[in-house]
Amino acid sequence: MAIVTLQNVTYKYPLTEAPVLQNVNLQVNEGEFVAVIGPNGAGKSTLCYTLAGFVPHFFKGELTGIVEVAGVETHQSSLNEWVLNVGLAFQNPFNQISGAKYTVFEEIAFGLENIGVPRGEMKPRVEKALALTGISDLADRSPYSLSGGQQQRVALTSILVMEPKVLVLDEPTSQMDPIGTREVFGVIRTMAERGMTVVLAEHKVEWIAAFADRVVALKDGQVLLDGKPGEVLTSPLLEEAGFGISRYTSTARKAKEMGLWKKDQLPVTLEEAVEGFRS
Amino acid sequence: MHERLSFYVHRDSPLHRLNPLTKLTMVFAFILLSFGSPWYWTPHILIVLVILPLSFIGRVQREYLLTAARLIFPAAGFLFLMQSLFQPIGQTVWFRWWVLEVTHEAVAFAFVNAARIIVMVSSFTLLLLTTHPSELMSDLTRRGLPSQFAYVIISTLQIIPQMQAKAQTIIAAQRSRGLDTQSSFVKRVGALVPLVGPLVFGSLVEVEERAIAIEARGFTSSHAKTSLREIPDSRFDQILRGALIVSVLLAFVSRLWLS
Amino acid sequence: MNIIIRDLRFTYPTGLEALRGISLTIAPGEQVAIVGQNGAGKTTLVKHLNGLLQPTQGSVHIGDWDTRQHPVSKLAVRVGYVFQNPDEQLFSQNVGMEVAFGPKNLGYPAEKVDALVKDALALTELSEKTETNPYDLSSTWRKMVALASIISMDTDIVILDEPTTGQDAVNVRRIAHVIAALRERGKTVITITHDIDFCAENFERVIAMSQGQILLDGPANEVLGQEEILATTYVDPPQLTRLGLRLGLKETVRNQEEFLTAIRK
Repeated sequence: MAIVTLQNVTYKYPLTEAPVLQNVNLQVNEGEFVAVIGPNGAGKSTLCYTLAGFVPHFFKGELTGIVEVAGVETHQSSLNEWVLNVGLAFQNPFNQISGAKYTVFEEIAFGLENIGVPRGEMKPRVEKALALTGISDLADRSPYSLSGGQQQRVALTSILVMEPKVLVLDEPTSQMDPIGTREVFGVIRTMAERGMTVVLAEHKVEWIAAFADRVVALKDGQVLLDGKPGEVLTSPLLEEAGFGISRYTSTARKAKEMGLWKKDQLPVTLEEAVEGFRS
Repeated sequence: MHERLSFYVHRDSPLHRLNPLTKLTMVFAFILLSFGSPWYWTPHILIVLVILPLSFIGRVQREYLLTAARLIFPAAGFLFLMQSLFQPIGQTVWFRWWVLEVTHEAVAFAFVNAARIIVMVSSFTLLLLTTHPSELMSDLTRRGLPSQFAYVIISTLQIIPQMQAKAQTIIAAQRSRGLDTQSSFVKRVGALVPLVGPLVFGSLVEVEERAIAIEARGFTSSHAKTSLREIPDSRFDQILRGALIVSVLLAFVSRLWLS
Repeated sequence: MNIIIRDLRFTYPTGLEALRGISLTIAPGEQVAIVGQNGAGKTTLVKHLNGLLQPTQGSVHIGDWDTRQHPVSKLAVRVGYVFQNPDEQLFSQNVGMEVAFGPKNLGYPAEKVDALVKDALALTELSEKTETNPYDLSSTWRKMVALASIISMDTDIVILDEPTTGQDAVNVRRIAHVIAALRERGKTVITITHDIDFCAENFERVIAMSQGQILLDGPANEVLGQEEILATTYVDPPQLTRLGLRLGLKETVRNQEEFLTAIRK
């Protein structure tokens, strides 16, 4: 069942001339993990803000078409109701620290305090969320004393703890080390398996291929491709349009020209590449 | 890296354990008493017999005495000197020099005023040293202070060291581009433009993104807020607050009575 | 110009011991990538190269200069440092003035400044945007402006802190192109990066750091093949290196060319 529906969505910021999103159609099912890829300026962040309600409620501007999440239309809702259903974490972790809290533990609890979760329920929820993202050992540190990668985990945890129906993430791992990134993708996958719907804007194609259910390729504010990772990420359209693709795919494509890759289907993950090159 | 973002010193003491509102009441009671009591020596007695012992009870005597020696007493001393010299009151002249005239009345007035200032700043210092800012704010929010107001106060307290850190990074980036910020005053002033530009732009971005981030975490939600911290409010706290209020009232009543 | 680091130790005022005995020599014209987990001490290390930090113990020499004896603004003649966040340095009304700021500070004559600016803008594909206000550009292009503003200083050593963070594939290629041009000019380039594929494709020498120490240091193929050791500092080998390892290729490969050559055998 679709929990997120975008129908002919076009959006223009108040101070820009051209629309940033043009006629976007998108449906996301409950518990689905959808990755959004695209060159910078393609509209990924704006799409995230639209799903999270900040377009149009915070940024104003002109939004046409239908944006519906969990059966509610964005124009019929207010931002403070909308955020109860949709959680958002974005790229710059420093600016996501509330500034009102002195420890990571309190920082994570901030959202729960705001929506009136009883104290007795709060502590176990924060502890669970900290354990899930692997930052239990940072609980007593000041959020400001952490590295960028650690702050990004805090920002993600601060939203996860609120258990939104839909989780929207805009490059949440940009400052993380490689294995840290893989771990966080794993956490996001787990959340999707538990029924949370995830929309993630990212450049890191290898982990998108390994963890996402579906990939949407955005170009100049329009949906260029939408489908399974194996289809979208191997499409020849991507490289032409300036998208990043995984080295497995580009190398297998080259190998295919040289007769070293026998299969029709190009690989997007390490496993697929291993299997294909072995045969 | 700033781990310490406020005055607060984390220790376990009877003063730390008091409810924040009790301590706040105490601060205002001391100030009102020192200004309102009809008895001349009230602020002096408060300093010696109440505030100083309290700093020991709160196990922050070292931090308090340091602040007192560096800041509170020098400021009060300066005030005492100025008022003694320039207050044009009183007839009992002790000595006269040029336009200056020091009278017994002016010195007495300055002496009590300096003590009042010491009481005022010292009691606030003790409050900040022994009360976690989040605790103070969540207790006040629970009692009806608008949460937006509490947020502004707390985040401002935290933002100052953050702005400093940010300014340091910007200075480092510009020095790496050959900007001389150290040799002469003229060069230092000239170096302000490349510092202030990024700082202002960064702050604008920061304000917008932070607004989005706290909004995404339900900051303006219509639900009644709850608090992670459980802030004890004991019978003793309530009695103490009552006693403080009664003593202030008594001081004012006796003052009216006597006049 | 040689970089010589001898038993470098650094402790922050908070008591955090960020570097615990680093010894390192980097020859003129080398292209070095530094990798390792968040908090391994990578940025702390490179901040010693232009004097932003001073050793608690040990020494850092840039050519014949001891960094303790020269202010940062003088070391800038030898070492250029591109910070991670361009917004922490851009302040001029237009891109051209921004890029001219560094060489002007170094006291170069006007004609030389003009030539350096022109060259740096061409290299970073910013020539068309000379008159634009940096803040009217996208964050992708602001990053290129920050890069150009250091290249224009024409230093022998260039440090890049996370140049590809948040950049799309097209811009990563642009940055790789700039690094290749610097290599041809004989510049030393030192880059901190989490993007291990970018590291594999553009750097000949790789240093892996962990907890304030050097874990591995050597030719890229040697270092990037050490899957187990790299994992201790939260780094995966590059995609094609992992593929090569899984396929049991004899030598470690790190780019498409090496991989295809090896698999043909």
